Amino acid sequence: MSLAVAQGFLEDVFVQLAEAIVHSQSGHIQLARQGFFEHGAHQPEKYLVEDPVGDKKRIATIPEVQDVMARLSFSGLLNNGRADLSVIGEGIEPDAENRLGTSLRIVAGRRLASTDKYGAVVGKGVAKSLGLKPGDRVVVVMSTSDGAMNSVELEIVGVFQSFSKEYDDRGVKIPLSAAQTLLNTTGASALVVLLHDTAQTQRLSHLLKERTVWRDQDVRTWVELNDFYLKTVELYKMQFGGLQVIILVMVLLSVVNAVNTTVFERVSEFGTFRALGNRNSDVLKMVVAENALLGLIGGALGVVGAIIVGQVIQRTGVPMPPPPNSELAYVAYVRVTWFALAGALAVGFTATVLAACVPAWRVSVIQVAEALRQSQ
Amino acid sequence: MTIVVLEHITKEYRLGEHMVRALDDVTLSIESGVFLAIAGPSGSGKSTLLNIIGCIDTASSGRISVAGHDVSGQTPDQLASLRARTIGFVFQTFNLLPVLTAAENVEYPLLQMQELDKEDRKERVQEMLELVQLGKFAKHRPNQLSGGQRQRVAIARALVTRPELVLADEPTANLDHKTGEGILALMRDINRKLKTTFIFSTHDKKVIDSADRLVGIEDGTIRLLGVRKEGQWAITNLSRKGPAQPAKKSQSEEESNA
Repeated sequence: MSLAVAQGFLEDVFVQLAEAIVHSQSGHIQLARQGFFEHGAHQPEKYLVEDPVGDKKRIATIPEVQDVMARLSFSGLLNNGRADLSVIGEGIEPDAENRLGTSLRIVAGRRLASTDKYGAVVGKGVAKSLGLKPGDRVVVVMSTSDGAMNSVELEIVGVFQSFSKEYDDRGVKIPLSAAQTLLNTTGASALVVLLHDTAQTQRLSHLLKERTVWRDQDVRTWVELNDFYLKTVELYKMQFGGLQVIILVMVLLSVVNAVNTTVFERVSEFGTFRALGNRNSDVLKMVVAENALLGLIGGALGVVGAIIVGQVIQRTGVPMPPPPNSELAYVAYVRVTWFALAGALAVGFTATVLAACVPAWRVSVIQVAEALRQSQ
Repeated sequence: MTIVVLEHITKEYRLGEHMVRALDDVTLSIESGVFLAIAGPSGSGKSTLLNIIGCIDTASSGRISVAGHDVSGQTPDQLASLRARTIGFVFQTFNLLPVLTAAENVEYPLLQMQELDKEDRKERVQEMLELVQLGKFAKHRPNQLSGGQRQRVAIARALVTRPELVLADEPTANLDHKTGEGILALMRDINRKLKTTFIFSTHDKKVIDSADRLVGIEDGTIRLLGVRKEGQWAITNLSRKGPAQPAKKSQSEEESNA
């Protein structure tokens, strides 16, 4: 039971983390020009998609696609009148992003709206560094590729917090149009695709690669964009693997102990069987068969228990501390899968049968007279 | 006709650092159809002797033959098969299976006899329960039966395979005196009716009186042999020469025919 629940919990952690990543930052799939994902952070103006509006329309016709939005990245300095902070900014389409960014929590002020022509939301870390609060005015300064300085004045409308602390320390979001003014372009750096179902990501990524929206396109899935996801999954899996081994050992030990006790308490009973003419092998088979049956019944009860516990936790949730590199606590649920249940059942069954073998063998070779004496 | 022959049987076992000699050069032959009591104080070796006759314990040295089979050197499986068909056991603590009904307990040894189908088994079980006067208790579990009734179920179980030999280790020790007498009377009755050989151990003098053969055992050697004829015991005392005779040399004699 605990095996199935633990695995269900792990399963949920992965799903939640994936959804959080998709919805707070990267969307499911991003399209950009070759090289943008490697070098775009420093020189986003070199990798611009020229006709984002047309490309968006074409992608939006795919049925699995829920939404497409353009983003324009830039890096520059944010100035509050006294100090500068180097930031990584993005021009976004507020309405579409608000539909995507359900995991992006606003801690002060409000979200960016399509009516804010020169509004900005900044990460919690940025707000702290520069002492910003909603209503403050800031200036974003950046140097263009030809060496000129360009600046836009913005009003802070909100402060956000994502799952990633690093992002919160540098991130600034402004309307796409303001970013386009800043970079003096009508293009965008990337198109962000949101799907109805996360499970469709791989299929859609292949589909988009074949379609070729533009010539030197680069299609990346959210897993490729967030390499820390796979690392985190690996880390968690290792930790939970350790936990599972511990559970397994505990299960085995207690089963061995229980089987040992019951078998040795009944030594005289087995002695009686053999006095009545049962062979050693008959007794061995009986003990193992009995424990196999017990293991099956116990495993089945565990499965029922796991389903019930899973359902209860699914309704209430378990508040969890923030994961590494994050400040946002979340509520964990348990996804008890059939695979986990079958695995737990198999473990319970095998453990009991294996645990029964040694005492069964010892009982079957003991002298009958010796075995019978145990009852007196 | 003899059913059990023991020749120079010695049984030693280790108890901590000491070797204990439970049986010391015992030679004995038992005729078919007798109702024999093995008597002696506790620790005298009577249970060990009974276990060796029943092939549930092995002798350290000597030769044993049961119902015409030389059992020395047989494999555990061969012995199990011999027990299944030739020997019935009645235990001091009854040793019934608590989860089975009286009828199922009696039926248990028959499950190994492939030649019997379900109907045959049912018939035999009923016959045996009637024999021990428990026909009405077939559906009762052991915990719903009194001590005496439980021992009757155990006797029915021992007899159901129609063995040539029934071994009973202190069958009345866990029963009150009156019930014990009833059990002995029943066994005696069956002994006469079915000609089944009964060998039982006891340390109760009153119980000995219902037997027709007696083997007295002390310190692992046979001290006396008795035959009862017309209510009178004819006792042969093997240790009458007194302690001067070394225990190792004490020999038992073959029981003479009645």
